[in-house]
Amino acid sequence: MFKSLPRFLPIKLASLLLLFMHPAIAEPLAISSLAPLETSANASLPEKTYSSIVRIEVATQVPNYNEPWKAGRFSGGIGTGFLIGPNLFLTNAHVVSNARRLLITMHGEARKHPAKIVHIAHDCDLALLEVDDFTPFMGLHHFQIGGVPKLESQVRVIGYPVGGNRISVTRGVVSRIDFNTYSHSRSDQHLVVQIDAAINPGNSGGPVLQDGKVVGVAFQGLRSADNTGYMIPTPVVRRFLTDIEDGRYDKYVDLGISDFPMFNPAMQKKFGLTPTSPGVLVAAVTPDGPCDGVLQKDDILTAINNNAVDAAGNILIDGEKVNMNEIVERKFSGDQVNLSIIRDGKSMDVMCTLKPFPPSQMYAVQYDVKPRYTTFAGLVLQPLDRNLYSAHNLTNTRVRRLFTHYLDEGIFKERKDIVILTRVLSDPVNTHLSGHVGTAIESINGENVSSLEHAHQLLHPEKSPDFFVIKCEGVERPIVIPGDKAEAASQRTQSSYGITTPANLSN
Amino acid sequence: MKLKDSFSPFLIALPLALSSCCDKQSCQAEKGSGGASQETTLVADGSDALTIRQSLVRINSTIQVWSASQPWDKSAPKKRRALGALLSGNRVITTAEMAADATYIELENADNTRIIPARVTAIDYEANLALLEPDNGDIDSFFEDLVPLSLGSSAKIGDRVDVWQLEDNGMPIVTDAVIQSVDIVSSFANGHFFLTYEAKGSMQSASNSFTVPVVRNGELLGLLSSYDAKDQIIDIIAPEIIHAFISDSADGEYIGFPSLGIAITSTVDPNFRDWLKLSDDVGGLYVTKIRKGSAAQKAGLEKGDVIIEINTKAIGRRGYYSDEQYGRLYWSHLIRGSLKQGDKVELTILRAGEQKTLTATLDRPEEPLVARDTYDQPPLYLIKGGLIFQELTAYYLKAFGKDWQSKAPLNLLDIMMTPEDYEEGRNKIVFLSAVIPTPATTGYERLRNFIINKVNGQTIADISSLIKAFEQAGPDGLHTIEFAEGPPRTIYLDAKIADVVDTELLKRGIPALSRE
Repeated sequence: MFKSLPRFLPIKLASLLLLFMHPAIAEPLAISSLAPLETSANASLPEKTYSSIVRIEVATQVPNYNEPWKAGRFSGGIGTGFLIGPNLFLTNAHVVSNARRLLITMHGEARKHPAKIVHIAHDCDLALLEVDDFTPFMGLHHFQIGGVPKLESQVRVIGYPVGGNRISVTRGVVSRIDFNTYSHSRSDQHLVVQIDAAINPGNSGGPVLQDGKVVGVAFQGLRSADNTGYMIPTPVVRRFLTDIEDGRYDKYVDLGISDFPMFNPAMQKKFGLTPTSPGVLVAAVTPDGPCDGVLQKDDILTAINNNAVDAAGNILIDGEKVNMNEIVERKFSGDQVNLSIIRDGKSMDVMCTLKPFPPSQMYAVQYDVKPRYTTFAGLVLQPLDRNLYSAHNLTNTRVRRLFTHYLDEGIFKERKDIVILTRVLSDPVNTHLSGHVGTAIESINGENVSSLEHAHQLLHPEKSPDFFVIKCEGVERPIVIPGDKAEAASQRTQSSYGITTPANLSN
Repeated sequence: MKLKDSFSPFLIALPLALSSCCDKQSCQAEKGSGGASQETTLVADGSDALTIRQSLVRINSTIQVWSASQPWDKSAPKKRRALGALLSGNRVITTAEMAADATYIELENADNTRIIPARVTAIDYEANLALLEPDNGDIDSFFEDLVPLSLGSSAKIGDRVDVWQLEDNGMPIVTDAVIQSVDIVSSFANGHFFLTYEAKGSMQSASNSFTVPVVRNGELLGLLSSYDAKDQIIDIIAPEIIHAFISDSADGEYIGFPSLGIAITSTVDPNFRDWLKLSDDVGGLYVTKIRKGSAAQKAGLEKGDVIIEINTKAIGRRGYYSDEQYGRLYWSHLIRGSLKQGDKVELTILRAGEQKTLTATLDRPEEPLVARDTYDQPPLYLIKGGLIFQELTAYYLKAFGKDWQSKAPLNLLDIMMTPEDYEEGRNKIVFLSAVIPTPATTGYERLRNFIINKVNGQTIADISSLIKAFEQAGPDGLHTIEFAEGPPRTIYLDAKIADVVDTELLKRGIPALSRE
């Protein structure tokens, strides 16, 4: 889903709220939730079943992208998980992201069981945990994964939200079934079911039940609206569980194209279509993406796996109009899809082999990784990605452009990383630098910088040049550091700013 | 070339401009305590007061800027009131702010007994100066008992000056101020810096105070361009600049202040200096950009050169030189002070450690790809079938508000920042600014801010070439519009439907489908 990213992102982001309970926010929310909750009068679940819905206590260490050499912030929170098989606890990825310690508590018990992550999928916000010793959980109910609930049908949300320590049950109806952004990665859109049951921080990872079966995993809310909770529907859950069957999570795959609706009469005429013809315009094909060499700009995509695509890019599945990507959403890396197209007036079928597309990680928030960086004479260099973009106030037009067009202009082919000068730690050797912070490093001693590692190598050669000349994109005046002063300045800044590790080149 | 940003004149002038709505009582109160104030005095109705009233002219102007999003419309009119100084030949001098984008200007005498419409005879948006003349009406009787001011010579730091204002009732207020410093300041059009006196003095609110004359020894010294009420600093456009402006306008054809057409950076950083092989006894400015076709380019100046002298005046590491009159002054005054187009300037430079002397013939810069100062120039546009095309200007980008540098479309901002990457084959950037939903633009409603490369196969260099390119649709009856980026890269427009829509749009109140 990386293709639709930069355009829709900012609006959705601000308003989505993950339902993972941090201690810091637990208290104010707790007060407001003291209002009487509508409790399920005749809970149909036997007490024993509640035991399969567990409280997950997480201690986290969140990396610091501002000063990447630092240990990061130690924090933690509460989430919910549930048993779906022998020693298989399903929860949200965001509940256990950046975790250093995981403890699972059964309903009505005090004992905390150490647990660990078996699989984590940040792009669909799901994770599977296991406890070190499953014996106490033996014989507990394993929840079954059901289907997609119908609009207006009733569901129950069970979990450990703010407002108390014991299990909580709320009830609501299915309000909407839609494609929406998953705010955990910020760059993915998948199927989402909206419900009007009260779901609150701490509910994250908890089951949404209908007729005793799981129909979704509660995962995010909307700050600006009341009674809107979102759950991950079962097609997404099933896909995750299937993906990890081979012992590895391979992520979602995407066609890597941009489509443009075929509504305009002149457009239709140009491509020999009628107002009722199926087909959406292929407006751009991501370079090196799965469809590069398969589809071309100006192809008309008329069907995917024999599902007719309408002029807006929608298909009909199970009686519902959904985005054509829903077909690809359910596929896996290595799967093939059949694309029916019209090219230059001729109808034909082409095959696309789906594959992961690593450069799209530029736009996804990264978790569980140590930030990469290098330092040199007080200059701090970090690769551009979503995390860096959020941590630093990057306003430079060129940097914003490189970020936005990293995929569609194929910038990733030449530049594995966009290396940003994020900071200048004051030292006599760099006192007079200004206007360079927040720009992208273009070249070092005349050589174009292609990655962080490359920049690191150029700045730490075997034999120092007379001058290190660092050219920043859009800034004519280069940074000049004398070769014979660089090492001393590096040592000085490392000791005065407490940089114990001067570089981390891999995560 | 940017030295420092002065405070926005709009903001600073506000407390003064507000005065026109100050109620009578508070004005009276201020007057009552006027005696206690050291600096502001009401002049008794004697000879001084008469001179002041006879040399001041109230200026009332109605300002209307063009709408950035609907370029055929003007925005709601705004009033601005100021005081101008009467010069010989029935001319009135004021700031460009008072005349830029003015729909109507009138002159009024101090007593509010006579009014006459005025027109602009010369305007310099960069130096913030304008010269007005009566347009029609009874000119003789308007100027009958008025006495023009003569232009004064330059002042020095420590000199006392008088700032002239008028009460609503026509009584003059004179504020005594002392020149504290002299600097190069940009007071109206962004990025243009001119010699400015900064005087300390406590001014009071009065009517018509948007800009007011500053006088020394009974002669016009300069014009107040802004007043910082907090620090009580009065910015005064210096007499050198006013002299140059007036003498340029004398032949009726105003040219404007010349420029070199370069951007520079300081050479303070010792490492940078070592790399440039600059010795400690020279200062120098590092040239970072040279505008195409500029005086600097014609003189042979290159990116990376270090300018160490301008007209034999040594330029320091931060760009200051020693001025005989004012002390340390920024180098740009050597170019944009008293020199005019065609004057020669000698530049001593260091190129790869070697000293050279270049002679630049000063010139007015050509209009850049993205026009910056488009005052009094309506935006150029074309509406085709509901697609709105415009020529990109800085005005359009700034219309995105205070945070325009982050809010304006990224691709358009990038052109403004690095026009050299887009210049080939273009005089201007033409882009699709918005789409009016019509039968011709179905499905295109969300397209905007796309740069146009070609229409019907013809390269688009400006709005005129766009209009021409739309004259002939393809044989299939479709217009083909190609964008510089996408998606989509190409859209089509049914020529027949578009023509019908255009006729319809005219009926709906759009006054014209294009402006070239």
